[in-house]
Amino acid sequence: MELLVSILVLGATNALLAAGIVIVYKASRIVNFAHGELAIVGAYVFYSAGLITQGQSLLLTIAATAAISALFGVAIYAALMRRLVGQPTFVAAMVTIGLAIVLKAAIVVFWHSKSVGINLTRQTLYTFPGGGRLTLVDVITVSCCIAFFAALFAFFNHTRLGRQFRGAAENPLLASQRQVNVNLILALAWGAAVFSASLAGVLFGSRSMLSPQSTIIGLSGLTAALVGGLDSLRGAVIGGLLVAAATYLTARLIDPALSEAVPFAILLIVMTWRPWGIFGTPEELNRV
Amino acid sequence: MSSPQQRSKPLLDVRQLEVVYNHVATAVQGVSLEVADRQIVAVIGTNGAGKTTTLRAISGFLPAEDVAVTDGTITFDSRPLVGRLPHDISRRGVVLVPERHKLFDTLTVQENLHFNLTRQRREIRDKVFDYFPRLGERKSQIAGLLSGGEKQMLAIGMSLVCEPKLLLVDELSLGLAPIVTEEIMGILQNINRQLGIAMLIVEQNAAAALRVASFGYVLEGGRVVFKGVCAKLMEHQDIKEFYLGGAEGKTRSYRDLRQYARKRRWWG
Amino acid sequence: MAAGSPYLRVTYAETNRILPEPYQRVLVVAIAVAVLVLPMVSNAYVIYLLNLTFLAVIGAVGLNLLTGYCGQVSLGHASFLAIGAFVTAILSNRYGAPVWLALPAACLVGAMVGFVVGLPALRFRGIYLAITTLAMHYAIIFVLTTYQANFGSSATAGISVPAPALGGYEINSGRAWYYALLLVSAGVVVFSLNVSRGYIGRAWVAIRDRDIAAASVGINVARFKLLAFVCSATLAALAGSLGAYFTGVVTVEAYTLELAIIYLAMIIVGGMGSVAGAVLGAVFMTLLPFGIERLFEALPHAWRLGTTSYGLQEAVTGVAIIFFLLFEPKGLIEIYRRTAEYFERWPFRYRELQPAERR
Repeated sequence: MELLVSILVLGATNALLAAGIVIVYKASRIVNFAHGELAIVGAYVFYSAGLITQGQSLLLTIAATAAISALFGVAIYAALMRRLVGQPTFVAAMVTIGLAIVLKAAIVVFWHSKSVGINLTRQTLYTFPGGGRLTLVDVITVSCCIAFFAALFAFFNHTRLGRQFRGAAENPLLASQRQVNVNLILALAWGAAVFSASLAGVLFGSRSMLSPQSTIIGLSGLTAALVGGLDSLRGAVIGGLLVAAATYLTARLIDPALSEAVPFAILLIVMTWRPWGIFGTPEELNRV
Repeated sequence: MSSPQQRSKPLLDVRQLEVVYNHVATAVQGVSLEVADRQIVAVIGTNGAGKTTTLRAISGFLPAEDVAVTDGTITFDSRPLVGRLPHDISRRGVVLVPERHKLFDTLTVQENLHFNLTRQRREIRDKVFDYFPRLGERKSQIAGLLSGGEKQMLAIGMSLVCEPKLLLVDELSLGLAPIVTEEIMGILQNINRQLGIAMLIVEQNAAAALRVASFGYVLEGGRVVFKGVCAKLMEHQDIKEFYLGGAEGKTRSYRDLRQYARKRRWWG
Repeated sequence: MAAGSPYLRVTYAETNRILPEPYQRVLVVAIAVAVLVLPMVSNAYVIYLLNLTFLAVIGAVGLNLLTGYCGQVSLGHASFLAIGAFVTAILSNRYGAPVWLALPAACLVGAMVGFVVGLPALRFRGIYLAITTLAMHYAIIFVLTTYQANFGSSATAGISVPAPALGGYEINSGRAWYYALLLVSAGVVVFSLNVSRGYIGRAWVAIRDRDIAAASVGINVARFKLLAFVCSATLAALAGSLGAYFTGVVTVEAYTLELAIIYLAMIIVGGMGSVAGAVLGAVFMTLLPFGIERLFEALPHAWRLGTTSYGLQEAVTGVAIIFFLLFEPKGLIEIYRRTAEYFERWPFRYRELQPAERR
């Protein structure tokens, strides 16, 4: 039982990270290598915002962080990605790698590489027989993830804007000809992606300590996205759970030190056996 | 139908258009054409004559490469179009049915038509199913799996839903059987008569285009080499020779043809 | 040189010349002289920096063969460096192998690993290839980490490497290293230039530009892709091996993903697909952190934001990558080319539409 809970919580975080990567990929075929860094920076911003409000108003902190993240995502698109129209997507991916370096350096410069934690709540809901605990934070994590994905599914499949998003992702020029402002769509995608990154980062920081090294969670997110298929949101959920399960089980049953290598091992396996992921299509490989 | 150009202001007015690729290759030079309200105009010419480039310049559909309109003006409804973004031009009423990539292949027929659907446009969407009953039978089919003719119908349907005042149709007949081309051209004529939408039809299949249009332009090597009322065009010796596939009477030898091409008469 | 037209080539020999213009030859001779004389007039610190630069040049030129010429995106360069370093360290530390044995052995192992890492390239392109090489990088580093933890002299101190000795002469002074590294990097640059203007180089460029078309004209794409990986990995192993001798100790923690990205940044900033660009980029990216540190120390305390220069160095590296990708995608070498072309064609103002492939 405790096993299941731990995997669910870890899987939820992975899935949230993967969702951000998938959103950007769906919209523009760009793989965002800076996603882990965006998540951790978002968490640090939340921490600082919390300091400024002196822990009084949680709502304000959340709102501020959400607004800053979304705006930052739009800024990334407007300042960087928009100028790369027409170039191969690998170039944009390299720019995100550069962005990752800058963000990591920002943590060092602005927060002095301090290890911080976010204290949302310490409430324990239930204690397992074996000694593990189910905390409120765990429940919040999983419910946030579910809520976010539900919102995404509803958006993509049942709203006009969601349809336009999917069309613009497939054929931006045609969408543009059909009166859809593709710039707006891409800006929206990036804003949503960075917002989800911050969300994942904050939830992560509520359970573990944050430091510049935490940005490695981006790799779990990327692996989860790849396992599920880079352009599939369903895949993000499944991939997140799978990576979480593999990591957790390896840590528990085999060797804790080995669990760090699990995402990479899964990456290798996926690339060898089914590179387009569980829900992806082989044609995806040729589109990059 | 005589050309009403002189009487009222044209809906689309292209003057001395020049489009250059990569700073060196002039695709289109000094092209002027007009489309009046509710008129069907045909632009014919061979491959590489600059027809598609002209359409792309009008609709802002130039790819993100090094293509630029270096001279000339394009005016629609008395407002300039050059330099505007494609979605802006489309919102003004100039809608392009592209030659390639004309649909969202991963969406269904229904979703394609609903792409930019508002409450007011539901009527038009229903009309689309009237004009193209075959689409009505395949509402939930993925667009990428339709046949060539059905894809073209869906593409036209999608552009109708955008409430165009002017429809730009690029190479409708490419990859279609002649009978399907005829059918769709006929439907376009109906749409023009019943909905009052002006059309600029660019075609390699000159015969089909000249049959539905009222006025025609012949593009060659990036320039307009001939223009006139379609009836006159269809009678013209050179056009019959080069585009409609037949001079009556004597069979020509290759040598005759080449010498004839050298002294092409429509420069005068 | 064709009469009357200094920039028109009329024979294959002319197009293949590395330095077709007289001013270029003069420039190269001047640089050569400067580089040879430099150690005599500089202090130990400058010589140290230059030694680091030479090591970087070897690695960068190797990566340029793979990513710049052949267009195969690889994030695994650091792992090849690590392999070279570790093989050298193991052979010389545990088995007492001399440098003329350990170095080629390291290169050989590097070549073999390069072959294996290159196999996915036959299946993937672009991002997916980058991700696969990333995964392989982590796999290799993991293996080396395990080795270091279990068999190294101590788990964290790494494996120590004795100074290389050639025929009784030990290379252990800055100046000796300078000339040794200068020799090796010059050799690597010449090798790269020759490969680039031969059949192999042209095949690589064809694969980079449109590999399907390359296959259709009879180029064995698989063979050349693997060859690119092997060459690149060998050169990287060489760089890693020399680096091991230079620093005297090998730790796996030094070979991070950031290192691979820095090498990628070198060829991006310098100019992809150009040997001169790779050299320029290597110089730039190696000296940049030191420059930043100097600048930082010159800043008054109040401006330092209470941090060390490390963060700033990283930030500037990232900004450099982004800046060059956005605004000068052809790199520093392009700036040089534009200037050179301007003066070459002066007083005419025309510029070439598609500039000939410069090295």
